[in-house]
Amino acid sequence: MVDKIYRTFVDATQNVFNLMLNISDISDHPAENFNCDSEIDIAIGVIGDLQGEVVYRFPASTSINMVKLMSGMQFDEVDAFVTSAISEIANIISGNVLTALSGSDLTCDILPPVQTKIDEQKEYDIKTSCCISTTIGAICLEIRLNKAA
Amino acid sequence: MLWRDNYELGVPVIDAQHKELFRRVESFLQVLRSADNWEEKVNKINETLDFMKMYVVEHFRDEEEYQKSIGYPGYEKHKQLHIGMVEYVQEFCKQYEESNNSEQLMQQFGGRLLAWLINHVAAEDQRIADYAIKKGMSGNGR
Repeated sequence: MVDKIYRTFVDATQNVFNLMLNISDISDHPAENFNCDSEIDIAIGVIGDLQGEVVYRFPASTSINMVKLMSGMQFDEVDAFVTSAISEIANIISGNVLTALSGSDLTCDILPPVQTKIDEQKEYDIKTSCCISTTIGAICLEIRLNKAA
Repeated sequence: MLWRDNYELGVPVIDAQHKELFRRVESFLQVLRSADNWEEKVNKINETLDFMKMYVVEHFRDEEEYQKSIGYPGYEKHKQLHIGMVEYVQEFCKQYEESNNSEQLMQQFGGRLLAWLINHVAAEDQRIADYAIKKGMSGNGR
């Protein structure tokens, strides 16, 4: 189950980077340590057969590069515009994951994206992290889900 | 430039509207992201937003008519995506008015609009084009 969820998130992220940013050179690996100087963490809550959240960790440089690529405009810092754009991308990836999981009889819904800080203390049935590396920088997904009782 | 050739779907009627929509969103974003101070550009932003709201609704209506005309099986699902976006825009406009034209809110709106539009055209609308082309109804011989 953990592997399946992990792979579904990785595939959805790769697909969105490919379609929206025209980036196809993408690799993934489990993220044991994901460190960067400055990052924006966006949480997408999950409800239904799976419950919990997925936190998308966007380094500032990756966030700026993503928005530059989408808009063709210059951005020098992470502001409300950039945060909102990458939050929507996290929302889109998560929505695509749920569509993919619905084919495996898992019915879930997502909550609107919120800026967050990761709580390392909570325990989950499914707890995994993946780092996705691209030519414009990496992002990390912290997947923390419980199966509904 | 916001528009990219790989967003082209191969259905002339939809591609023409998408290019126009991207052109309008791009000019909106250029004003929004310009270095002018907020008081100087807020009137132009508001005018552009009002015009774009009308254009988006018109484009969604035309796109839905096109889907019906080709018997697109994902019509209802796609229409819900349009309804969701229109509802978001309406809710945003209400909050924006109540905030007395908050720049922060408008910047958030611009970021979300940019990502939503690109995903909608590059991913969701591609399904309509795939169906039209498969059925030989794209109108460009592809």
